[in-house]
Order: sequence, then structure tokens, then C-alpha cells
Amino acid sequence: MSRVKRGVTSRAKHNKVLKAAKGARGRQKNTIRVARQRVEKNLQYAYRDRKQRKREFRSLWIQRINAGARNNGLTYSQLMAGLREAGVELDRKVLADLAVREPDSFANLVEQARKALPAGAKEDASAGRGAM
Amino acid sequence: MKTYNAKPADVEKTWHVVDAQDVVLGRLAANVAMILRGKNKPTFTPHVDCGDNVIVVNADKVRMTGKKRTQKTYYWHTNHPGGIKSRTADQILSGQYPERVIYKAVERMLPKSKLGTQQLKNLRVYAGPEHPHEAQQPQQLDIGSMNPKNRRSA
Repeated sequence: MSRVKRGVTSRAKHNKVLKAAKGARGRQKNTIRVARQRVEKNLQYAYRDRKQRKREFRSLWIQRINAGARNNGLTYSQLMAGLREAGVELDRKVLADLAVREPDSFANLVEQARKALPAGAKEDASAGRGAM
Repeated sequence: MKTYNAKPADVEKTWHVVDAQDVVLGRLAANVAMILRGKNKPTFTPHVDCGDNVIVVNADKVRMTGKKRTQKTYYWHTNHPGGIKSRTADQILSGQYPERVIYKAVERMLPKSKLGTQQLKNLRVYAGPEHPHEAQQPQQLDIGSMNPKNRRSA
């Protein structure tokens, strides 16, 4: 059996970590000790942020739908309630995309939602809250 | 399908002119801040300056409800010992730079970030009814009549 020296393996391991630490600040990209800490923390952030990404996108879609709805005289909550009443089952991702790329069909959806809202809610909508 | 992502080159920056006469300060600032950030557009992108430019005129005639005109105080520190200084809103509004009241209110409503600082530069506040931006063809924006409370007195 041939003799195995540790240097080759260590070098390979270190290079793997240093490669993953590229772009970090200061000693975090050069020194194996600090680089390892940085890479481990970054993997924790990556794990957490794969979940947070879904929430962040949903909240961005809601902000865009709200802007589109207010341009058409309804608030976000009134629009969503109206769409539920009208039986429109588009999700927020599609609604946000319509608001950006097809403002006319989005305006149509807002109109449908307005018609589906119960009479009391429509009064609130026209009382100016929808404008801003 | 990929979520839309505005590039700085796609953003069309328009100009709005707002008359601050008899409009409540915080309500005016909230609406101006929203336009500066671009949150009134369906294309809003959080990391891109997608807001519009806003010109505020008659800034010295802005309204403050309650006793805020005499009691609202602006503080700053000179970094010398005992160097805390203050002025009331009334002193600033009747002083040399009355536009600072609106400017400060909007500044405090924008994010404290590089993007927020950049967006604040799209705000121009003038004390009188005149502004030097006619060439930009600003659209009139009537914040006072958006909501009856926006002109509320007392």
C-alpha cells in the first residue's frame, strides 16, 4: 500500500472553500480560517433566503397589484375581495404581471371586481380612498 | 413566467408640480414620498430608482394641524458639548428657508439608503408660487383634493 501524505487532500479542501469565498471582503477571501467561517455563514443565509425569496416576491407582487388597482380606483383589499366574489382565481403573480404588461386587461379585471363587490363596499371605494 | 424587473433604462421619469398651499404637511409629504419612490406605478422595482420628479411650490403656505406650527421642534447637534440646537416649525416657515419644512418631512419618509438619498434629489421645493422647471413640462398634481382630510384645518 502506498503512503498517503495529507498535504494534497488539505490543499484540495482549502481550495474548495477559498473558491466559494470569492468576492468576500478582506481576509475572508484569503485566509482559510476566516474564509471557512464566512462560507458556512453564507450557506446558512442561502438556506434561509431560499424560503424568504418566496415571501419577498409575493409582497412585491402585492405592491404592484396595489399600485395598478389604485390607478383604477380600487384598493388592493377591495380588488382581491371583488375578484373572489367574481370567481376570478388568478394568483398574485399573474395579476402583477398583467398590471405591468397588459394594463388594459388588468383594468378589465378591476372593473369585474368592482361589479362583484357588495353595494356598501362600492360606496367606500368611490369615497376617494381608492385614489391614494 | 418571470416577474418583471425594471432596468434603469426602462424607467420613464415624468415631472409633477404640487401646490402646497393649505395642504396638511404630513399628508402632502406621504404622497410626494410615494411618487418619488415610484410605488404608484405597477412597474415598481425596489432596487431601481423608478420614481418621478416632484416640484413643490408655495411650500411656505403649508398647513399644520393643531398646535404643531408653534410646538413642533426640529433638533440638530453641532457635535460640540452642549451643542443641541432647535427651531420650531413656525421659526423655519417664517425664516429665510421655509421650504426646509417640507423637504425634511419628505426626507424622513424616504428610506435611509443610497437609493433613498438619490430619490430625494428628484424633489424640488420652492417657497413661492414660481419654479424654474417649465422646460420639463410638469403635470399638475392636486394632492389637496385627493382626500377631504388633506386640507383639514385646526
